[in-house]
Amino acid sequence: MSVLAFPPPVESEAAETLRAEVRAFLADANAARTPLERAESWNGFDREFSRALGRRGWLGMTWPKEYGGHERSAFERYVVVEETLAAGAPVAAHWIADRQSGPTLLRHGTEAQKRAILPRIAAGECVFCIGMSEPDAGSDLAATRARAERQGDGSWKVNGTKLWTTYGHEADYMILFCRTSGTPADRHEGTSQLLVDMRMTSGVTVRPIHDLMGQHHFNEVHFEDAVLPPDALLGTEGQGWAQVMGELAHERSGPERFLSSIQLLIELIGALRGSESLAAQAAVGRLFAHLVTLRRMSRGVAALLEAGDDPTTHAAIVKDLGATFEQELPDIARSLVDEEPDLRSTSDFAAVLAYTMMAAPAFSLRGGTREILRGIIARQLGLR
Amino acid sequence: MDDVSSIIFESAQRLLSDLSERVSAGRPMADCERADGWRQIEEMGLPFALMSEAQGGLGLSDAEAFELVRICGRNVVPWPLVDTMLANRFATQGGAAPAEGPIDTLGELTAEQKERAALARAMQMAGALDVILVMTISHVQERSQFGRPLAKFQAVQHSLAVLAGEVAAGQAAAEHAVARLARGGAAATLAIGIARARIGEACSKAAAIAHQLHGAIGYAREHRLHLYTTSLWRWRDEYGTQTWWTRQVGREVLAAGPDAFWPAVTGA
Ligand SMILES: Cc1cc2nc3c(=O)[nH]c(=O)nc-3n(C[C@H](O)[C@H](O)[C@H](O)COP(=O)(O)OP(=O)(O)OC[C@H]3O[C@@H](n4cnc5c(N)ncnc54)[C@H](O)[C@@H]3O)c2cc1C
Repeated sequence: MSVLAFPPPVESEAAETLRAEVRAFLADANAARTPLERAESWNGFDREFSRALGRRGWLGMTWPKEYGGHERSAFERYVVVEETLAAGAPVAAHWIADRQSGPTLLRHGTEAQKRAILPRIAAGECVFCIGMSEPDAGSDLAATRARAERQGDGSWKVNGTKLWTTYGHEADYMILFCRTSGTPADRHEGTSQLLVDMRMTSGVTVRPIHDLMGQHHFNEVHFEDAVLPPDALLGTEGQGWAQVMGELAHERSGPERFLSSIQLLIELIGALRGSESLAAQAAVGRLFAHLVTLRRMSRGVAALLEAGDDPTTHAAIVKDLGATFEQELPDIARSLVDEEPDLRSTSDFAAVLAYTMMAAPAFSLRGGTREILRGIIARQLGLR
Repeated sequence: MDDVSSIIFESAQRLLSDLSERVSAGRPMADCERADGWRQIEEMGLPFALMSEAQGGLGLSDAEAFELVRICGRNVVPWPLVDTMLANRFATQGGAAPAEGPIDTLGELTAEQKERAALARAMQMAGALDVILVMTISHVQERSQFGRPLAKFQAVQHSLAVLAGEVAAGQAAAEHAVARLARGGAAATLAIGIARARIGEACSKAAAIAHQLHGAIGYAREHRLHLYTTSLWRWRDEYGTQTWWTRQVGREVLAAGPDAFWPAVTGA
């Protein structure tokens, strides 16, 4: 009856049993990470950790067994994702593949593509990057200029530049969104997705871009007459737009959209422990209420995914609220604790505060900006 | 929800929306109209709805009872219906008889009774939030300025997206507390605190946006918007203010400390 009701989360005993196993595993596997390292959250890159998750059957969890998956529910997968994020475990070597590239392959890939790649993702052995944004195609993704041209022998010749490609320098594969016919003026028409082997393809140059903290996680990926084999096409030629929208729905649907700053919240509670301050109680109570509510909504999105429903609008709401929640955190922490933020401080609170403060601007950019998300929500409300 | 409860919900919605429509926003109801309205509410058994079946109630589960309360929140009427429902439940649980007419002050409450009343307010807010969202969507589609409907301006679209997000979050928090009620004890108390903290904030933001997008007409007594926004402003601070509930939650989280934080989130 509500305009935009969120389905209630499904309580599952299997999921709670699994939670205990994941916590026990993380208590050990993640023990050595400092609070500052934990705060890096989904930027932490560690292939060995991803392999360890794969060995336990915690990647590709919902996929069919014949492709290396484990045929478990979206709720069980959700538990693994939220527990690893809340623990600040290094997820970057698997999470793009597990979250969106794998599901895109599963849905649109050929039998051979699925057999070749999905088991490797599920084993934690295969790193993917996202080839969507370009210098002139950010929010306006349909303005993509990169193009792949079919050669006489059926192979593809790719030219163009992808930008902000997270972990492009480590990736084994990219899912490239580009034009396969027409011109940028054709917008959604004539676009396709292609699978790029980042290790075996010549004519692909990856250049680092450092973020404002001086860290290197994203890149510029330049294609110059790069030749991809005929079977690099992912899905249907010309259907790139519909496919990439499906991929984005997966990209936006998870709990990482409100859990990436949780380390700061934990440090804040540590710094305020035992405080009788009414302001501190009110602020922490409010943040806790927001977090529990976001988690309920996000588990509702998992219920939509499990039921095979389109999660686009609900995911946009959770991501928008989640980004706002996370971006408020540094200032709330600053208002309650009298400590100078400093990345090199020996105080965990000060270091994590500094990190989160500088990471925060990206929260409402990556994966679709705040304005784009609000446009999606407004469309669902019938306003556009 | 079984068939019986959905019939109750439908007829309650029909009657209350009819009575609510008769509340012309600017004019008080005539005495005879008032008496007649309450008689109809009683005939449907609504004042006794939250009592146990043995005491003459409708035999609703907790989840159903709070759904009915949400329907009351969707339809602002000039009687304290929800308070009367609560008072009659508490009275009959204590062995007393239900009241004759509408009751607007509940008197001394036990902690558990206060929590139930606080949760009822949250579900009323959940209902009223829906109404102001729907009213605002219709208004921006119907009202034109600069030669086009307000809905076509991106600034207006984005404000409405924020409004919809707050409404969804407030409702999710209230529904979560209803779902947690069965756990009883500290778990239920915490969930109610969370609900009141979150939905109270949603009310502030949602009401502000609804008024902004309605323009001056929404500020006029003759318009129905204020029936809902002023109710929200009242409800969010009744049976424990938003601040009181928020601090209860915060005190507990701070006392448990950083290591207990994430388990508390997943356990809440
Ligand atoms: C940390 C990080 C990691 C990223 N990783 C990847 C990656 O791995 N792969 C990848 O492909 N991309 C990645 N991105 C890119 C990201 O998807 C883009 O930044 C995003 O889509 C916005 O594009 P833009 O930066 O070009 O900004 P623009 O599109 O130029 O937008 C600038 C501002 O204008 C606003 N704006 C634009 N259009 C409209 C409109 N129609 N109405 C209202 N406002 C509008 C935007 O909301 C924004 O506020 C990453 C970005 C970040 C920050």
